[in-house]
Amino acid sequence: MAGLVFTDQSRLPPSPFLNNVSTMPTASANPAGPILTVDGTPLKTSLERSLKLSKLRAVGLVFPPLVFLIFLFVIPIGSLLTRSVDDSLSNKVLPRTLAAFERWDKTSEPDEAMFEALYLDMKAAEKLDLSKLGTRMNYEKSGWRSLVKITTRGLKRIEGPPYKPAMLKLNKRWGDIAFWQSLGAMKDPVTFGYYLNAVDLKYDGNKNVMRVNKHRRIYQLLWWRTLLVSTIVTIGCLILAYPVAHLLATLPLRISNLLMICVLMPFWTSLLVRIVAWMIMLQQNGVINDSLVSLGLLHDDNRLEMMYNFTGTVIVMIQILLPFMILPIYSVMKTIPPSYMKAAQNLGATPALAFLKVYLPQTIPGVGAGCILVFIVAIGYYITPELVGGKDGRLIGNLIAHHMQHSLNWGLAAAMGATLLAAILILYWVYDKLIGVDNMKMG
Amino acid sequence: MHNYLRNAFLCAAVVVGTLGTAQAEVNMVTWGGAYAVSQQKAYGDTWKGDKINWINYNGGLGEIRTQVESGAVTWDVVDVLPDQARTGCDEGLFEPLDRGMFVPAPDGTPMDQDTMRALPNDCVVPNIFWSYLAFYEEGTFKGEQPSTIADFFDVKKFPGKRGIHTWPNALIEMALLADGVPVDQIYEVMSTEKGIDRAFAKLDQIKEHAVFWSSGSKPIELVKSGETSMSLAYNGRVGAAILSQGEKLVPIWDGQVLEEQWFTLMKGAPNAEAAKKFLVHISAPQQQAGQAKWINYGPMRKSAMEIIKANEPWHNTGVNVMPHMPNRDDVLATSIFSNAAWWADYGGELKERYTAWMSQ
Repeated sequence: MAGLVFTDQSRLPPSPFLNNVSTMPTASANPAGPILTVDGTPLKTSLERSLKLSKLRAVGLVFPPLVFLIFLFVIPIGSLLTRSVDDSLSNKVLPRTLAAFERWDKTSEPDEAMFEALYLDMKAAEKLDLSKLGTRMNYEKSGWRSLVKITTRGLKRIEGPPYKPAMLKLNKRWGDIAFWQSLGAMKDPVTFGYYLNAVDLKYDGNKNVMRVNKHRRIYQLLWWRTLLVSTIVTIGCLILAYPVAHLLATLPLRISNLLMICVLMPFWTSLLVRIVAWMIMLQQNGVINDSLVSLGLLHDDNRLEMMYNFTGTVIVMIQILLPFMILPIYSVMKTIPPSYMKAAQNLGATPALAFLKVYLPQTIPGVGAGCILVFIVAIGYYITPELVGGKDGRLIGNLIAHHMQHSLNWGLAAAMGATLLAAILILYWVYDKLIGVDNMKMG
Repeated sequence: MHNYLRNAFLCAAVVVGTLGTAQAEVNMVTWGGAYAVSQQKAYGDTWKGDKINWINYNGGLGEIRTQVESGAVTWDVVDVLPDQARTGCDEGLFEPLDRGMFVPAPDGTPMDQDTMRALPNDCVVPNIFWSYLAFYEEGTFKGEQPSTIADFFDVKKFPGKRGIHTWPNALIEMALLADGVPVDQIYEVMSTEKGIDRAFAKLDQIKEHAVFWSSGSKPIELVKSGETSMSLAYNGRVGAAILSQGEKLVPIWDGQVLEEQWFTLMKGAPNAEAAKKFLVHISAPQQQAGQAKWINYGPMRKSAMEIIKANEPWHNTGVNVMPHMPNRDDVLATSIFSNAAWWADYGGELKERYTAWMSQ
């Protein structure tokens, strides 16, 4: 738009500067000098000033959304990324212990020097920091929390060296080498441990990356499942939305308006109401199963399991996200003149060929926008999977929410959130390479 | 336009008004549903002090930590689970309280010695016990009726699906109990890798028959609709269905897992003084007993249990509430008190293992 205005010279209003130039009194007196405006300032300066003013005005207009963006997007995401790699607490609380850990061979029984360092660190630390650290250490090895707590409480009973027997008397787990070894994963103030945890990996005592115990492997599975659900939901939405959008775009206005309300109605209905409605429909003793059984299509003992599992999550998410697909496709289809299809058929194409060669390519910007929109919303979804996911329909978002709300492992939650963000950015980049973001039409 | 201006002025006046009176109110954060109603009746209606604002939340420390860390604390009193009470106090999210201010039992026992379980720290104020228990609907099974937690895990003897929750708490204990581990050795066994494997092996026996729930209202629906023949549930939900709705449900008290519920005061609570007075009020024996009139959760204070025993029928519907109390004497021998300290250590690891187990 901006380009248009400047190239189309004939439409420019007569500029005051240009007019002034021709009537400038000093212009002939000094033909080699700079061109001056009426008030005697050089044209260049005057032009610069006026441009600066309009730039300032533009910045002024952009300023509120910019502040909004910084406060609600850049700062939170920045702090999220910081949280996901921050491991400074252990260094702050246990500097001597970690130094002693470095000198240790990681396999022999810890010696008196290590116990002394530990005692001095814990003695000097604030109580609050110690209990926070206990929580942090418990992520690496279960049991740290109570070990730190018991030791903190018993510290004042230790009178002096040697510290090793005294600490062992407080709790015999101090003799368990596994607790000492787990310190290795926490010794650096900046860690990628949380990112490793988010894909079922961890650091061992020597900071080698290894897989977690096979019973605890859950995150990889959930990442794949989240991608799978998002893909299925996106494809499902596309298949359902394309014909609906086409109908909306081609039917007479009166009918298409009615249809549009039908599309938007569920969109305006509360999410929870829609989910509960699906529960009533899909559960084992729900409307669909009951109808199938009473029609004799299904035996009473073989009722379909469509709720509280993967299927339930997919069905409900497709219904909930459908409008995000219909609306962009519809808005693009609306702009395609019907005469194109007629022309193609006039020129000899079969309806199928005309659709493939003429109609479909023109709807791609809408399809792309719809797919991106649905996929991005789906990949971070958690309310629906929480309610209808049951045993195998829960997604990575549910684990993020769990770590934010319940386990308080914000580092891991942040790492998973950042990974999710990265996945979306990669997807966006791939989309840009394949179809081109300029091509996308949101509506 | 005139109207608009007037409304704007009214709004401004209201905002200024609430700001001015903010000190005189207590923001009480709890769980909603019938439970919150019981608290409003037993604690709110008997309270003569400042206005109480009842706020609902879904548990967890996320919101609490956000408020404390950002310095914008708006909550005062929070009703919390045992793990929240411990972690929250450890992390400095809750205020340690002066233990001398609370009301002693009628016989003079200080409050902290009047509770059925020892207090984990100085942040907590006694509230209630609730439990996870198994239940079924009358008429589901012919002949012998299920009566133990082992029956819940026995799908051959008592066919049908089983409703279980989507997190491991209580389930591990129940599985081991059903597998024959004595009540007093549960946590010893759970502290070993073998013990956990044993619990999961027991859980495997009902996995094919499991329907998972995550919201407290679901188990009653599952059993009422016949989708499952038995389910685990919060005892208060089963009790409410029996006591208030006249449902023919049968709780299996054997192998129930009791959980503590505490009150805490937010660190930096905006109305701390009024909130402390309110905490003294709601932890007094009379009020503790009073909430059992409205829901069958067991007061934590022994003296409150005595008040109920002496004044039956205590429930507002005119029936005896004692037979529905999770912490009454005759069921304690076969009940487990959930060990919150153990769960604080192993809960995270076990949650991952359980989630993995559920998904396989």
